[in-house]
Amino acid sequence: MSYEYLKFGKEEKDFIAKIEEISGQNIYSCYQCGKCSAGCVFSDKMDRTVSQLIHLIQIGQKEKVLKSNTHWVCSSCLTCSVRCPRDIDVAALMEAVREYCLREDYEKIIISEISKEALDKLPNIALVSNFRKKTG
Amino acid sequence: MVQYSYFPGCNLKTNAKGFEETAIAVSKKINAELVEMPIWNCCGTVHTLTSDNIMKRIAPIRVLSRSKKHIETLKESPNQVVTLCSMCNSTLRIVNNEVRKNQDTLDKINYQLEEDEEVYETDMEVKHFLEILRDSVGYEKISEKVVNPLEGLKISPYYGCMLLHPEEAKIDDEEMPDVLESLVESLGAELVMSPLFKFCCGSYHIVDQEYIVSSQVEKIVEAAKRRGANALVVACPLCAYNIDQQQKAMAKNTVRKSPIPVFYFTQLMAIAMGEPVKINHFKDHFINPEPLLKDLGLIGRKKTK
Repeated sequence: MSYEYLKFGKEEKDFIAKIEEISGQNIYSCYQCGKCSAGCVFSDKMDRTVSQLIHLIQIGQKEKVLKSNTHWVCSSCLTCSVRCPRDIDVAALMEAVREYCLREDYEKIIISEISKEALDKLPNIALVSNFRKKTG
Repeated sequence: MVQYSYFPGCNLKTNAKGFEETAIAVSKKINAELVEMPIWNCCGTVHTLTSDNIMKRIAPIRVLSRSKKHIETLKESPNQVVTLCSMCNSTLRIVNNEVRKNQDTLDKINYQLEEDEEVYETDMEVKHFLEILRDSVGYEKISEKVVNPLEGLKISPYYGCMLLHPEEAKIDDEEMPDVLESLVESLGAELVMSPLFKFCCGSYHIVDQEYIVSSQVEKIVEAAKRRGANALVVACPLCAYNIDQQQKAMAKNTVRKSPIPVFYFTQLMAIAMGEPVKINHFKDHFINPEPLLKDLGLIGRKKTK
């Protein structure tokens, strides 16, 4: 069995504080019951489940958090937020990770790269919501 | 007749014209007329879940303040703005609740609205048209107006996420809703219950991660079909687009060759109440519901007689 030593310094604490500030949630409220992951309709498409991502945020593992696709697969359907026994707005935590990326001058979707055909075909409700979630 | 200030939202003017036209036609029949706001803007479609972004909260408040102005010109109108789109409904409602609790946010937003001589005083209520049907009109009155009961249609209600989530914006119980079910039954159709009634369709991922949407839609549609449904009823233009369009793609690329049509709840009401078929805009649908309706004798009957 191999062990991985985790660093828990200023950088990690800053990351946690930033996520808590953006989301307005207390990340340590989570006691890892896993109800959010169990009920998440997108769990099969995530490389880390929602509760795993929350655990990584709790221990400040910024790089691993940002490398996951979990927060980009989340579509804010809010099933997890409604069901959380600790009343955490879990979807807000996912939004906070997304916003953390976007505020660092990062764009998940580059609008100019979408083909004109697709823009004509797609309903505006899809485009507006996508751009609001995936561009800074 | 009670008149309601009605906020359409962007999609009802483009992809979901049938949703709007049928809703307005039906609303006149049941004495709860929807009158469109003269000036409105996009509500932003999705609510921001961040705690510190005020910019994304301005648009919904602007809608609410404009609706307040609109009400002064209406007859017997309660302080309510009515939406048809479930995403508009949840966005407006959440922000409305937030500013009621947080005077500071409201002041900051009102400061931004000052330029256009608008101000919001937290005195509006957001209602979805389904709530008006349930609470103000009542299902009995709806079934009285039915002239063409939807016999033969086996309809599975699909709520999508935004009608039932989050806690402060839900229109019905989040795990056991019955508003669409009761409506479908009052129109004389057969009800088919599917466990995936609020299984998210993938929403805005349709733009850049279509694989997510297609796998979600496959599960939703198969669950309904396995239980005998021959149509789905929805209240959200994005759910409707995703399910409709992905089924067509599925019929082309996979073994799932028998798609089922997707209706808006107002379209079913319009058919049951004998409104002209034209206002349904079935041409905008990817899976045309007309063959099914003709087979069941629900439309086009008058011409043959």
